[in-house]
Amino acid sequence: MRKLMLLAVSLLLLCNCLWSQTKEVTGKVIDSKDGTPLAGVTVKVKGAINTTVTSADGFFRLTNIKSNASTLVFSYVGYADLEVGFENSSSVSMVAVDRSLSEVVVVGYGNKVKKDVTSAISKVTSKEFQNLPLPSFESALQGRVPGVFMNSGSGKLGQALTIRVRGISSISAGQQPFIVIDGVPVLSQAIGSATEADNPLASINPDDIESIEILRDAAASAIYGSRATNGVLLVTTKSGKVGKTKINANIFAGFSEPTKKQQFLNAKQYRELFTDAVKNSSYNGVFWNQDDAGDAFLQLTGYDDWALNPNVDENWADKAFQKGYIRQYSLSLNGGDAKTKFFASGSYNDQKGIILANRLDRANGRINVEHTVNSRFKFGTNISLQNGRNFRVPNDIAFTNPLQINALPPIQPIYDPATGKLNPNTIYYNVLLDNDATSVISYNFRTISSVFGELSISPDINFRTQASIDWNNLQEDNFYGKETQTGAPSGLGYNNQVTSRIYTLTNTLSWRKRISDKHIVDALAGTEFQNGKIKSGSVEGVGFPNDKFTKISAAAIIDFGSSSETEYAFVSYFSKANYKFNNRYLLGVSARVDGSSRFGVKNRYGVFPSVSAGWIISEEKFLNKSKALSFLKLRGSYGRTGNAEIGNFSSLTLYGPQAYANVAGIVASQIGTDNLTWERTDQLDIGLDFGFLNNRITGEIDYFKKKTKDLLLNFPIPNINGFNAVTKNIGTMENNGFEFLLSANILTGKFTWTASFNVSTYRNKVTKLVAPILPTGRSLGRLAVNQPFGQYWGKMYAGVDPANGDALYYRADKSTTNDISLANDTIIGNPNPDYYGGFNNRFSFKGFDLDIQCQFVKGVDVYNMAGLFQSVNGDYYDNQTVDQMKYWRKPGDITNVPQPRLFDANGGSKSSRWVQDGSYFRIKTVNFGYNIPGKWLGSRLHLDNARIYVAANNLFTFTKYNGYDPEVNSGAAGVLNLGHDFYTPPQAKTITFGINIGL
Amino acid sequence: MNYKSIKIILIYIATFSIAACTKQLEKKPLESIDAANAITTPGDVESAVIGCYSILGGAQLYGTSLLMDGDLLASSGYCSFVGTFDQFRQIAARNMNRENTDAARVWRRAYQAINMANIVLESSSIVTNPSQKSTFEGEALLIRALMHFELVRFYALPWGATANNDHLGVVIRTKAAKNETEASLKDPRSTVAQVYSAIINDIDAAITKLPADNGVRLNRYAAFALKARVLMQQGLYTQALSSANQVIQSGKYKLNPSVNIVFDNKNSAESIFEIQQNEQNNAGQTNDGMATFYGSLSGGIGRGDVRVSSTFLGLFPAGDNRRSAWFYIGIGARPGGNNCFKWKSFSQNIPIIRIAEIYLIRAECNARLGTTVGNTPENDLAQIRNPLRTNLPVILNPTLNDILLERYLELGLEGARIHDIKRLKISTGTLAWNSNKLVFPIPQREIDASGGVIVQNPGY
Repeated sequence: MRKLMLLAVSLLLLCNCLWSQTKEVTGKVIDSKDGTPLAGVTVKVKGAINTTVTSADGFFRLTNIKSNASTLVFSYVGYADLEVGFENSSSVSMVAVDRSLSEVVVVGYGNKVKKDVTSAISKVTSKEFQNLPLPSFESALQGRVPGVFMNSGSGKLGQALTIRVRGISSISAGQQPFIVIDGVPVLSQAIGSATEADNPLASINPDDIESIEILRDAAASAIYGSRATNGVLLVTTKSGKVGKTKINANIFAGFSEPTKKQQFLNAKQYRELFTDAVKNSSYNGVFWNQDDAGDAFLQLTGYDDWALNPNVDENWADKAFQKGYIRQYSLSLNGGDAKTKFFASGSYNDQKGIILANRLDRANGRINVEHTVNSRFKFGTNISLQNGRNFRVPNDIAFTNPLQINALPPIQPIYDPATGKLNPNTIYYNVLLDNDATSVISYNFRTISSVFGELSISPDINFRTQASIDWNNLQEDNFYGKETQTGAPSGLGYNNQVTSRIYTLTNTLSWRKRISDKHIVDALAGTEFQNGKIKSGSVEGVGFPNDKFTKISAAAIIDFGSSSETEYAFVSYFSKANYKFNNRYLLGVSARVDGSSRFGVKNRYGVFPSVSAGWIISEEKFLNKSKALSFLKLRGSYGRTGNAEIGNFSSLTLYGPQAYANVAGIVASQIGTDNLTWERTDQLDIGLDFGFLNNRITGEIDYFKKKTKDLLLNFPIPNINGFNAVTKNIGTMENNGFEFLLSANILTGKFTWTASFNVSTYRNKVTKLVAPILPTGRSLGRLAVNQPFGQYWGKMYAGVDPANGDALYYRADKSTTNDISLANDTIIGNPNPDYYGGFNNRFSFKGFDLDIQCQFVKGVDVYNMAGLFQSVNGDYYDNQTVDQMKYWRKPGDITNVPQPRLFDANGGSKSSRWVQDGSYFRIKTVNFGYNIPGKWLGSRLHLDNARIYVAANNLFTFTKYNGYDPEVNSGAAGVLNLGHDFYTPPQAKTITFGINIGL
Repeated sequence: MNYKSIKIILIYIATFSIAACTKQLEKKPLESIDAANAITTPGDVESAVIGCYSILGGAQLYGTSLLMDGDLLASSGYCSFVGTFDQFRQIAARNMNRENTDAARVWRRAYQAINMANIVLESSSIVTNPSQKSTFEGEALLIRALMHFELVRFYALPWGATANNDHLGVVIRTKAAKNETEASLKDPRSTVAQVYSAIINDIDAAITKLPADNGVRLNRYAAFALKARVLMQQGLYTQALSSANQVIQSGKYKLNPSVNIVFDNKNSAESIFEIQQNEQNNAGQTNDGMATFYGSLSGGIGRGDVRVSSTFLGLFPAGDNRRSAWFYIGIGARPGGNNCFKWKSFSQNIPIIRIAEIYLIRAECNARLGTTVGNTPENDLAQIRNPLRTNLPVILNPTLNDILLERYLELGLEGARIHDIKRLKISTGTLAWNSNKLVFPIPQREIDASGGVIVQNPGY
């Protein structure tokens, strides 16, 4: 021990000795504007190796400085670099540069200063969506980003959103953007068995996200080659920041309810309508006793409720809903020093939906670490774990969809008065029975993780390698009790395990050189290999002892089982280069070569190049003195992207298995074509970025034109040869539009007000098809040349003949007819918007802050396909919407609702009768908070910051649409049938209260 | 390690990984088999034969549509469709449009079965065992004939609608489509006479190739039985009689002692050919399948969509066992109507042709021709009205009408009715046997896909 002490003392002395030969500098760095200390500022000694970063309170200390040094260099993101002599270092004040332009945006395989960007990229940062009750992270983009049209589809939790970047660029292949999280291309398509796509992104924790960049034009996205046509979303998760370890805890909880409920007939109205419907029916006295509504009800439905239940008056429609809630607990830690930085987080989020039995919860954990080994080498890892659970709602067209309960007549009791139990004797399935005895749960386990290493080969050349995995396991565990429609007669259990695994290996070599002050170049080359595989196994059992046994081990009969496997691979080479001349002329080029197993042997590799240029006009002499105009950049780009989101084996001629009772045979299942390849999109973009009044007002205007060709279409071939279609590269399509974004710091000072407004358009036009794709069944969406995607096509409803109450339709010559077969098919709507956008306002005053985000869609048509059953003047015994009471009663009545005639289909065929304007304006999110002043926190509570807030989602919706929700896309209607509403649940209005604490 | 060596290593890694990757682009499907490897052994050919049967058993063909549509088209005084499916409501109302989805799916699947049969015929040379080869070919020929027959009965005006039957029938397909070019051929409809001629040729060839016994698959007597059915449709009674007689004389088939056995049990003595189903592989349980549409049973079986008319039920003589055994008041979905108990279980087999029909054909032909080939109409009818079976007295010296009524009652709700209406040249409701309304539309998509080479039926 004594020896040890001695050693220590001598070491100390030795150190002292060394110090005496060198210098030491200490000081503090503050923000020039408000004097707040800046943490994490890099402080270097000029001409020497000494480097440090400032502590959380802004202090730094550099030791062992060579005696001849005299200057310190300060650098910090968002601030101008600064050189200061040692003598002035005690208090260094750094000046923030205008962040809107020095802001760094993430681009494909790298970063770029926004000012130098020559392509159309939007960025949404965590600040804009943190602490909001979001159903999933990508919903944060709605209304915030120009050029991105989003539709949540329905109010079901965990269901996929429709995201369309710059219009619709495919017919049969994917239309969703390519999603890359921290350089990892991730699975964003549903892998489950349900008809309506579940959303694998719903299990990602929005609070882990630092920023989302949306690559809109080809110059930005072509580096992602054959998968970039629908735009690319680059998601960056939070990383550690140098300085004191910060702990952030956030808790919020709230409740939700439907944004709207629809009104249906009560018993009195129902009886009134159907009494008339019976009398006026051509079957009156044929199927039932003349003018006897009770007998008609009995004869057609088999139930005698009309006569037996004179006092029953049920509101079935309301029973589809429940009071929802949301709660979330999250904790994150972040910090680091010059060598190691980390971010760690954990959270639990639990949402109970507004639709019966719907619930989604998830638990997330993440750790992002980066370690600098030496000046040449650093490595890091991002590891995330997600565990989600979704109590699903059946698809819209299922009788078990809770909203279909609104079809039940108010004269049928919900509970059987004799037994007091739920009434199973209803004209359609009483879905409330499901609630008691059904559980449909999807469990989701996922990790999106990567490791990377970065080697600085020379000061200009960097090599980076990243290996990543996106592993997603979905387990569907369903049980339907024997009382339920699906489970009858003895209970049914279904278990489906699907595992998707994508691994990606990316190598890039980048080079960056400041040749002189006038010439700056950078370049990058890389290779990427990706392999994706989906494996699944499922089993179904029936014959359960009773509803207490829900696992298939209890099933008497295993009546279905299956396993499957499918795989694809991509091999890619890519390169890009940028050149900046004289700080005002910008040029960028990029190219990617993609090979994929998905394409025919004759067409396996494709090239996707792009070129872009920018001119920072405000740097020119004739403008740089302008006081009003502070920034002006003109940019343009042209490039080619692809869409490879088609089936893994679409190019092959295949035989598939098909069972025949106890044996299985093979059948020719697909005719292939060796030439099959990706869809190609050539895109032009012209943009103008501007800033006025020292960039207090900034904005962007973009025009784009996308021409897509080689669209994969199922080319219909005559059935007489045994096949229905062959997938070929045939179609072409165009999208063009404008995007406009304007942001302003309207008020600064004590009371601040910043506002941002964006509006975008897209005009889609199909330019080549094999043949028009016509609507089938009850749907209206069609494809035709020179017409927009999904245009509504059918008979035009002409209202009601005042003389006799007949439903009328237009013929080709615009005259009307009561015989729908004589009416002609015509354009009856367009589900694509005229324009859409958002309007966001952020206010702060003292400790208060208020953020209001609005979102709107204008000129979009919505088709209430359920109108064929629920708004059809009593053509069958489905309960009707209240507007049907305006039905025609006597000659001379002017109304839009035809005379009720039970079973006669008077106005009951598919037509424009249920097409409506679905424009809406929605106060999407509101976040009102109060930051508890530092003086109350620091001394007593030892907190850095604390904020209490109230937040809301979908607070108000303004629309003329009669149905539940104009933001609708029934997942059961198919991709062509946009804006179709079929008993589709509305979105939830959610209000939450929360507290956020930092220490 | 200097930078040069690092660079070399990096280049090496990059090159190596990419070289390895290019091979990775060769991915083989595991759930389906590439056509080049699909049919290479005799076992594969048999798989293709079974594939043909699996197509026949689908809801689009014998699993539902070919039977149910034959009933719904004859709806007047017979049955009704009270469900929500528009395509079936249209059929029952005899008011179909060109986009009728059921007309589309029957057409598509029938030709898929024909193509599969042609694939079997074109790959049968792989089969080395001559009797096996002959059996596979016979099955394929008979399936091809059967599908052409169903197509021509549904999609063309009936036999006899024109003097020489030179009105449009359906497209005859005797070559397999194995690649894109072959799968894209556009050929016009042949005349009804040509189609029937092709059907008879195929059946005759099948008769020579098929064995007397072929398990639950098609055998020689099934070929005779189906030939009899085809010939009846053409009104060729002498020949139909001969074919029917062959089947009965084989002694392979006899009526069950109780009328429900042929529907309750699989492959009973009465059945000449039936579609095999089980719990897992059947035509459907919620939106398709015979029991689904016809049933209104407890335990969630059936939608109660097809109701039997009381007019039809009134035709049964008092005390007829068949009235009580085959018909009931629905107790499941849409209860309270008359439903048919022939279709009661999702997994039951579906009889396509049974010996009862053959006795009725022989009796009818003998009655028409004034002959007693095989046996007298009285005795043949007595097989059907066997007191054990029906609890009915034997009809002495039955008239043609007695036989036809017996046929209506015996084969009710098995899909035969509309074809009988057409061949007997009687009407259903206000529609005459040769009404355009009783003929399916050619699917509009087919007319489009063929560029108009295939033309629409009159009235659409």
